[in-house]
Amino acid sequence: MRYRTGIAVLAVSAALLTGCSSTAPTTGGDTGGGEGGGGASGGPFTIGVSNAFVGSEYRTQMIADIEEVFNEYKADGVVDELVLENADADVNGQIQQVRNLINRGVDAIIIDPNSGSALDAVFQEAIGQGIRVYAIDQAVDTEEVLNVGIDQAKWAETSAQWLADTVGEGGKIVVVNGIEGHPANEARWNAAKAVFDSSGVEVLAVGNGDWDQATGQQTMSDLLATYPDLQGVWTQDGMAQGVLRAVEAANRTGDIVVSGEARNGYMRMWSELKADGFQSIGVVNPPGTGATALHFAVRQLQGEELDESKTVDGDIVLELEEAITNDNFDEKWAEVQDQPDSYVLDSVLSADEVGEYFAG
Amino acid sequence: MTLGVDNRAASSRAVAWIRRVQVASVVTWGLLAAVVLVNAMVQPTFFTLYSITSTFATFVPLVFAAVAQAIVVIGGGLDLSIGTIVALSSVVALKVMNGSDALIGVGFLAALATGAACGLVNGLLTAVVRLQPLIVTFATASVFGGITLVVLPSPGGAVPPAMTQGFRLAFAGIPVPVWCVLVAVLIWLVLSRTKFLRHVYAVGGDAQAAYASLVPVVAVRILTFVTAGALAGLAAMGVLANTGSGDPFIGADVALDSIAAVVLGGIALRGGRGGAIGAIAGAIILALVTNVLFFLNVPTTFRELASGLVIIAALALSVLTTRKGVVR
Repeated sequence: MRYRTGIAVLAVSAALLTGCSSTAPTTGGDTGGGEGGGGASGGPFTIGVSNAFVGSEYRTQMIADIEEVFNEYKADGVVDELVLENADADVNGQIQQVRNLINRGVDAIIIDPNSGSALDAVFQEAIGQGIRVYAIDQAVDTEEVLNVGIDQAKWAETSAQWLADTVGEGGKIVVVNGIEGHPANEARWNAAKAVFDSSGVEVLAVGNGDWDQATGQQTMSDLLATYPDLQGVWTQDGMAQGVLRAVEAANRTGDIVVSGEARNGYMRMWSELKADGFQSIGVVNPPGTGATALHFAVRQLQGEELDESKTVDGDIVLELEEAITNDNFDEKWAEVQDQPDSYVLDSVLSADEVGEYFAG
Repeated sequence: MTLGVDNRAASSRAVAWIRRVQVASVVTWGLLAAVVLVNAMVQPTFFTLYSITSTFATFVPLVFAAVAQAIVVIGGGLDLSIGTIVALSSVVALKVMNGSDALIGVGFLAALATGAACGLVNGLLTAVVRLQPLIVTFATASVFGGITLVVLPSPGGAVPPAMTQGFRLAFAGIPVPVWCVLVAVLIWLVLSRTKFLRHVYAVGGDAQAAYASLVPVVAVRILTFVTAGALAGLAAMGVLANTGSGDPFIGADVALDSIAAVVLGGIALRGGRGGAIGAIAGAIILALVTNVLFFLNVPTTFRELASGLVIIAALALSVLTTRKGVVR
């Protein structure tokens, strides 16, 4: 008999929980958050940063760029504290990162989100307390969040179009993608695939390199062995150097065209192979968008209004830098060749350039 | 015979109760008080409604997982698959509800049923096939995790809005996540008064003696895992309400965190002693330690290290004092 009691309790609790959850929304728990929030005020402002993927050169440089711009503002007394939540975490962990920042009373949050949709609820918590949220690197669906970044599809189209033009109609290529199912990977690959389809380029096979140089190299070696007649390879940043190493190991740099990456390690190999006729392209995907977003945050916190005509569906889409090809390689390489191999070619808008996005 | 068994059960229950209250509890509640005090000192906003709501919302899933783990551990087992049961139950409930407010109740039943079914697998393998719980649940953790990926291959999907919004509301002046923790406490209080839980204590304390006293050991062991699985299903609903979306990889830390919570709660890993209220306190301690480290401005690079050290210290304190109590 008592066993049934236990089961009944579970059932009752479930019903109770259901009851709780179905309660109609009344208040948004909006009394907390300390000094956080409050649209236009004089500052100084506290800025929070949430990044849940560490250990990649891209993210490291992203944080360093934010810190650099923050320190300039701090010297002027515009901001006072930068709270960094920077550790590997899943979506649940990133929700906690954002809550920590809210409880810390930050005025704005700059986030490199793990997911385009799963952080919506916690973004609403922040926005409900008057905190401004800026998503970089990957766009999120939440309307009130300002997405600041490049157009990933356009980024992919640029190198895909170049590759299609170089191998010509009927050309045979392989593809080394990032992580299957990842939103950024899907956006890029769908855009690139459309270019290849319309240009009549034949895609022999698609492999995954997990945005990792070693994995990319392995995948490319396998593809080279399977499809010896390929003329080009389209790949993404973070693994293009690995792909190029595989092509070099097969002694094919003279006849295989590689869509590369705008990173120093890759460009160093490119500079050495260029004399032998190797052709490539690098499109900059700047880690500096985080620092650019900080400029937007400061201006909005100071009460400035965005010029709606400069936004795309309410978001900020940054112009792509001119792509690096053999034509302008020497000039671009001269600017960055003193940086370490881990350096990602970067661009941060200046405070004045960001000002152009604002009315008045 | 019957009388003798009842007397012995009664007296062992009394002894267990005294041990529970006297030794383990003092340390657990002391640690909880200390961590709450420190947190309140370093975080000026600690007692605001938002802070309480968000802090509780973060650890609701772990609280239910800790109660589940507590029951298994008291019964002399260990469940390493709790984390993936949470993941599987959450994606199944997500698919069943399909973002519709009207289906939230069905979603709860789906999560409970999925969790209970996983528990049944664990229970049959340990009690009937007689494999070690540690090995069984280590293996089934991968199995459940694999099924989760089949159900939901990549993160996505939307939880019914009423569930995510309701989770952030206050009900009778008390935030809903706090109510959820109170529900976990209530579930335990009622369960602990059932004959089933008395049998769990008996089996965990000494399975052979329990068998000799006509306790249906096999059935009790199976039901232990089934109950734990169902509770993991409730934890899954907490995860969904908190994130508002599905993720097949959610809950990776839950299994080990729940074990840490159980030990912090003064439940002996050899079984037969302790109570889930302690484990709930343990779960709260674990969550607040992370909080404190954040507000102490420990850089994120060192926070994991610091968090690990604090937990080891707390566990050591908890276990050492309990051991002294047993000798006495």
